[in-house]
Amino acid sequence: MPAWLVLTLLALGATACVDAPFSERQQAERVLQRSRWGTSSVYTPARTGLADAARTHFGLRAEPVQPFAYSHRVHLAQEMACTDCHQGVESGPRAGLPGMNTCMTCHAAIATEKPLVQAMTKMQAEGRDFAWARVYDYPREAHVRFEHAPHIRAKVECSTCHGDMRQQDVARRVVDMDMAFCVNCHKQQQASNDCLTCHY
Amino acid sequence: MAHRWGMVVDLDKCTGCEACVTACHAENNIPTAGAVEAGRGRAMHWLRVERYWEGDFPDVKVKFKPVMCQHCDNAPCEAVCPTYASHQTDEGLNAQVYNRCIGTRYCANACSYNVRFFNFFNPQWEKPLHLQLNPDVSVREVGVMEKCTFCVQRIKSGKTAAKADGRELQDGDIQPACVQSCPAGAIIFGDLNDPESRAARLTHSPRGTKLLEDEGTEPKVTYLQRQSWNEPDTQ
Repeated sequence: MPAWLVLTLLALGATACVDAPFSERQQAERVLQRSRWGTSSVYTPARTGLADAARTHFGLRAEPVQPFAYSHRVHLAQEMACTDCHQGVESGPRAGLPGMNTCMTCHAAIATEKPLVQAMTKMQAEGRDFAWARVYDYPREAHVRFEHAPHIRAKVECSTCHGDMRQQDVARRVVDMDMAFCVNCHKQQQASNDCLTCHY
Repeated sequence: MAHRWGMVVDLDKCTGCEACVTACHAENNIPTAGAVEAGRGRAMHWLRVERYWEGDFPDVKVKFKPVMCQHCDNAPCEAVCPTYASHQTDEGLNAQVYNRCIGTRYCANACSYNVRFFNFFNPQWEKPLHLQLNPDVSVREVGVMEKCTFCVQRIKSGKTAAKADGRELQDGDIQPACVQSCPAGAIIFGDLNDPESRAARLTHSPRGTKLLEDEGTEPKVTYLQRQSWNEPDTQ
């Protein structure tokens, strides 16, 4: 069968489908089904397209862009501890990213002559806050639920998973957290390696 | 001693209000299928309230029975899974590992209680409803099975909180969403290995029965009722 005939038949078939009468409910279902594959007004774990799926599959991720040029290196050189700003790390699942108020606890009085601090003070006066971009996360289909607190209690250093922050200005992904990375450490520490420890 | 999580449902207290169903959906990011897909048997409810009518109107007696995964000791779903996605944890939970699941649906067919559900579609929520999804629970994608986990995220966070306070886990510290939301207090959750826990004591109640007990699945959910479910009402 020649290619043009196949195409014509397909086009005719498609037209027939579109023209077929649908009840109101079927129409609504059709709209829903179309949006299942990632249109804007609906949230779904589906990828928005083939390119997006390929990027996830090969682990290609853009470096996070932060809203403010905060430097970890400068602050850690002042003998600050990670927990000064990431306050939830010892008590709960999330370490937490500090907001404007945390920064201004010190910077209302300290280093007020620096241009960046002045820019921040101006932001606060305008009622704005930081929308930090996540640096480390897991792909959605990994179904990983990580808790910080048990790891801190087990005396795992922050740098084990996040690299030496004293060398970094803006945080970057320097440690590749794949499952082997987690499982090896769990084996060494004799922590549970049941799937449900992390995946649920 | 390791925990062994179990549940007791007091049918004499249950009023069939379905608060547990709603709480379960909200806690565990369970999508709603919609009328058409539900008609095709694709509705997903990790916990459902079964309703039984006895007698003819107006002399009817209605009975309600909340049914969730029974977390069987001898679970038929586990034996049939080719990828070990369905397995028993050290704490007696019948776990479903979404990463391993390849969607054969053998487990749903093997399950005697019809409490395993297949994701026929990627779940979806109209924005901004996606902002109310529970971040402690994954959103399952198309092609995997899912089921009641006894709110394993709450079990984990309860343990974490107890350890952070430097104390032992108390009976009642951990409440799955259905237990927490039940206004009648009809659902009780606890450690069956702790003889002092409410759930362990009620498991041995003379009112207790288990669903499809004669199949030998050895469920960890006990149903309390003044009379046996199968016997006719003699009152």
